[in-house]
Amino acid sequence: MSSLPEAAPLPSPPHRERRWLPVLAISAVLIAVVSGGHLAADALGRARGAAVIVGPSVEVTPLSGWELAERFADPPGVRLTKGGANLDVITLAFAGSDADLLAEYVQQVLEPDAEQLQVSEQLEQVTLASGLIGSKITYVGLFGDVQAPIEGEVIAVVSPSGTGVLFDGWSPAGQLQFALDEVDAMIASTEIA
Amino acid sequence: MASLPVARLPRRGWGRRTSLFQWRQPAFWLYAVVVSITAVYAVGQQQIFHELSPSGWALSWGLLLVYGLPVFLAIYLLDLYEREPMSLVLGALVWGAVAATVMSGIANEGWGLVVARLGGPVFAAEWTAALTAPVVEETLKGAGVVLIYLIARDEMDDIMDGFVYGAMVGLGFTLVEDVFYFIAIFGGTTGGVLAGFYVRVISSGLYGHVLYTGLTGIGIAYFASRRGEATVGRRVAVAVGLFAAAVGAHFLWNSPLLNFFPASLDDLGDWLQFPVGAALKGLPLLVFVVVLVRLAHRRERMWLGAALRSETDTPALTAGELQVLLDPRAKRRSRRVMRHRAGVAAQRLLKRLQREQVNLAMMRTRAHADDAPEVARQRELCKSLRDGLLAIPGATPAAGEPSP
Repeated sequence: MSSLPEAAPLPSPPHRERRWLPVLAISAVLIAVVSGGHLAADALGRARGAAVIVGPSVEVTPLSGWELAERFADPPGVRLTKGGANLDVITLAFAGSDADLLAEYVQQVLEPDAEQLQVSEQLEQVTLASGLIGSKITYVGLFGDVQAPIEGEVIAVVSPSGTGVLFDGWSPAGQLQFALDEVDAMIASTEIA
Repeated sequence: MASLPVARLPRRGWGRRTSLFQWRQPAFWLYAVVVSITAVYAVGQQQIFHELSPSGWALSWGLLLVYGLPVFLAIYLLDLYEREPMSLVLGALVWGAVAATVMSGIANEGWGLVVARLGGPVFAAEWTAALTAPVVEETLKGAGVVLIYLIARDEMDDIMDGFVYGAMVGLGFTLVEDVFYFIAIFGGTTGGVLAGFYVRVISSGLYGHVLYTGLTGIGIAYFASRRGEATVGRRVAVAVGLFAAAVGAHFLWNSPLLNFFPASLDDLGDWLQFPVGAALKGLPLLVFVVVLVRLAHRRERMWLGAALRSETDTPALTAGELQVLLDPRAKRRSRRVMRHRAGVAAQRLLKRLQREQVNLAMMRTRAHADDAPEVARQRELCKSLRDGLLAIPGATPAAGEPSP
């Protein structure tokens, strides 16, 4: 076998920076962090539930993902929850106007429980699907031992038959905006006899 | 100070200047796309705040500028010898202010739903901020530091660089988050904004996102810059460990644990109690980061000394000048003395000479040989600057010798 002349060593190939791989990895991390929680929460959610009876003449239907978390005895009420968002629905016999009912709720329920409380100054008028007209305020406050501030909206409605209904949609501050459409939809569709 | 050979302290990219706008880097385009999309939402959010309380919004930004500008300068000037390119520094700030805040808002909501779904509403109200925000926000802010590194790899050549970029991301994040708190939580009134400024900036401004992301940045820079010096396992362990420390500190801050904050700000005692409560939660991390930054400074000084020691035999640098260069206080003092002795022009020339001597160190670490043409040219530049300085009446003692 003839011996080949010794070849000069080849230069090492140029270092190829992997420019796309880390960018794809970062993109995957961003997508996973931003949308992962919503996907997981949806997976944990449940289908639209059956109507929940709040009181003798009030019935609320939870939307998809909302579930009955708690019942209140006096006055009768329920708490529907979806993630960090909650909707408390309370019913009682009431002789005054919806604005009066709203004022009593702020004075007798929100203010005593709150370390700090800011309530919107103007009442806003809302109309339910049934045609009933109610009043709405919004609030932000610190309640009890809970560290995070809570924001919420309260709607009071009084039916012609004297049934007062209070809707308090609340969540940790900053989160309510994401659930507000569903809260308003459930309030609007509540059946009040 | 230990004298280490230059070869054992490689800094591949020292002295190079890369801008943010690297059109051929995929990382730049990811950065640009994410910032552009999130900017639409961020601007919309600021418009809402402005509409809710125009004066409160303006006061919020005014106060935050008073806080943010000095912090920005302090972070930027921390890198003693090789300041980072301004476009990259601002790029980091914008990522934190725009991309990270917007994405965090969306992500926190989603993961908050998961916590509430699994733990119930009462548990969620108390723990969501602690369980979601630290991981979500530190990841999204850290992604910005990684993108900056991918855009300009040569710029992140030591852990100090990682701290600077990380802290800038954190600063951008905290400024926008503070505006949200001042308007949405503290009410946006003059009193509310001032109370928010006291609570979030005066009492706790030293402990928040700047430190968390600075820590994450140190870990990323360690991983990126210690190739060849440390094993992959060690680099990963340090990067993951520092990220975990940032998440842990953020968790402690957001959680009800060790909570000595007053429930409300009703009297003077409550106002005084707030900074104490904040210090209890935040001071240990601040001390830890200060120690890391001092270690990074020490390492930078070692690099500079190792790179320039042999130059004291050349006309470019004297042994006395090297001693002054290695001590930032002595460097500032020497300029003051020069101004006093020989006037402003001499002070400026000395500053230029010292800057070019640091550039000489950077060139030496990049050059393949001691007598490389660019090194020789830089030596000549330094020599001519010193000659020019010594020609100024009164400049002689302060130029050649360490300042008193």
